[in-house]
Amino acid sequence: MATEIKTENTRFSVGDAGQVMRAARAALAEKLRDLAAYHMDACVRCGLCGETCHVYRSDPVPENLPAAKAAKVVRHFRRYHTAVGRVAPFLVGAKRLTPEALDELAEAVYGRCTGCGRCGLNCSVGADIGVIIRTGRNIVAAAAKVPSNLQTVVDNQLNTGNQMAITVEELRETAAWLSEDLQLEMGDEDVRIHVDEPGKRVFYLVNPREVKFFPLSLSAAAGVFHAAGESWTMSSRFYDVTNYGLYSGDDDAAARITRQVMEEAARLGAEEVVLSECGHGFRSFRWEGPNWLGEAYPIKVRSMLEIMLEYIEEGRIKVDASKNAERVTLHDPCNLVRWGGVSEPQRKILSAVVSDFVEMTPNREQNFCCGGGGGMLSMSEYGDRRVRSGAVKADQIRATGAKIVATPCHNCADQLLEVNKKYSLGVEIQAVCELVYNALVTG
Amino acid sequence: MLVAERIVVASSLVWAAALLLWQLLAAWGGGRKDYSARAGSPSRGVLYNFAAAMSPVRKEAARFHPFKFAVGMVMHAGVAFAIVKTLVILVRPETPPVTPIPLGGFFGIAAAAASFLFLRRFFSPNLRPISNFDDYFAAFIVAIYLATASLQDFGVVSAGVFLLVGAVTAFYIPLGKLRHVLFCPVARLDLGRRLGYRGTFPATRGAKK
Repeated sequence: MATEIKTENTRFSVGDAGQVMRAARAALAEKLRDLAAYHMDACVRCGLCGETCHVYRSDPVPENLPAAKAAKVVRHFRRYHTAVGRVAPFLVGAKRLTPEALDELAEAVYGRCTGCGRCGLNCSVGADIGVIIRTGRNIVAAAAKVPSNLQTVVDNQLNTGNQMAITVEELRETAAWLSEDLQLEMGDEDVRIHVDEPGKRVFYLVNPREVKFFPLSLSAAAGVFHAAGESWTMSSRFYDVTNYGLYSGDDDAAARITRQVMEEAARLGAEEVVLSECGHGFRSFRWEGPNWLGEAYPIKVRSMLEIMLEYIEEGRIKVDASKNAERVTLHDPCNLVRWGGVSEPQRKILSAVVSDFVEMTPNREQNFCCGGGGGMLSMSEYGDRRVRSGAVKADQIRATGAKIVATPCHNCADQLLEVNKKYSLGVEIQAVCELVYNALVTG
Repeated sequence: MLVAERIVVASSLVWAAALLLWQLLAAWGGGRKDYSARAGSPSRGVLYNFAAAMSPVRKEAARFHPFKFAVGMVMHAGVAFAIVKTLVILVRPETPPVTPIPLGGFFGIAAAAASFLFLRRFFSPNLRPISNFDDYFAAFIVAIYLATASLQDFGVVSAGVFLLVGAVTAFYIPLGKLRHVLFCPVARLDLGRRLGYRGTFPATRGAKK
């Protein structure tokens, strides 16, 4: 008989409880092919990882210890995949998957961790706790217990092509008026936001946030493309650079989102996909996407940062650093830098387009998460924790004395806007391409 | 000479090695091909993760907890020497004890380190909630193993007793958290390979201004 498992985190009815647990166990078993068991067996729960985590630093309770969050996943691994865990679970802290255990797991892996992976880099033994946490999310997603607001974003992407359910008409209207503004601003009637134009070299993906609320970065990117003489277009249907399947732990959904975008790129005949400034979008499309699909992409995928640096280095755009005279610091998005390997292009760009660039400490792969990663921004139930965990980043920003925080991630930008208010930092948050656009020397 | 004890410890070592190998293969599960386009060097990432990444300068777990980290290092060094000592007695039981004061003293310090880690787990408000029987027993059995190594060097207990304690320890390795003896380096290898592939490793400047 079908049973509705009702918890705060359950969004929709699922099959009977046995089916749910079997699905969760299957997700755990599947994830072991990603070598997650190596890391689960490596963590010795030494507890030295606390200070590496922005969530623990801002609220040092035992539950926020990365090892404690990992332990919530490892106990299920031990129950189903170790001999002692099967025979005498109490000896090794093994635990069966139950609806209650899944709720606890969800609270730990969604509510207390952004999956930034900083703890793994600083782990005393080298265990990648980020992989363990994502295994936890895979399990919870398989049991259909993803926090409802996060699941809504995934559903929007699957059903409408973009996470904010923006209609095709709205996208086209926005592109039209942004183009008019840009023509006036640049004094050039040819500049515009290209939509649904086949045969262009670059297929550009943006964060729907740019279309809906913060169009400056979209028009800045259009301005940079135009100045570089780039052949580019967006799609009115599949233009979303984000992929919330990465956050929810639903790899099937993540694969479908990836596929619809890559098929659109092929339909438009693009030679290259360029990703707007988005940390998890970069990680999803550049690194995880081919593995979700189980095949290599036929075309190249790059970040907007990489292509802007190419324009500068090849002299395709001219920039004047004195146009950005205020002190600028840089926030490194975890998924772009630690998980994505892109740390230097943004630095080279900023060194060229601003006159006073200062680093945060620590930075690059050792950066602290802003607190908004891992889908936290969409999970309102954890909003207080999210903003509190931004205190670490606020301290880093304050110490630089910067007036502008550049961040190549719209997710981070949203969190930093809140952090800016909450901790009275008095800074502006800008995308890197906005600073490049501002420094352009035209004519 | 020590025939029965040597057979027991040899059997335990074979048991541990066989199970660890089986666990490694089961955990690997055939692996998965990476279809993304490579940006860096997996081998350089692995080298980095086994070298510079392990220095306290790059590893906050060590930098922020120098005493606890040092205690852990002493314990692990003691275990490494005790394993060598076990193998030496196993292969050449007639080998006379070597420099008992420095080595026995070191084993004693390492046993104290293991005891500290056992007690810390018991009293730390962070560790107690996430600890289970296995966590305590692993620290306990290692402390006993190291203490026996020390006492044997000082002639307080026989080589046979040391071998039997070693056999119990080896038998337990694949059953609980002591299997990290294999999985820690394997995990480090995996992370180094993956982040090397993506170009994150080798990382050289992240901790600096």
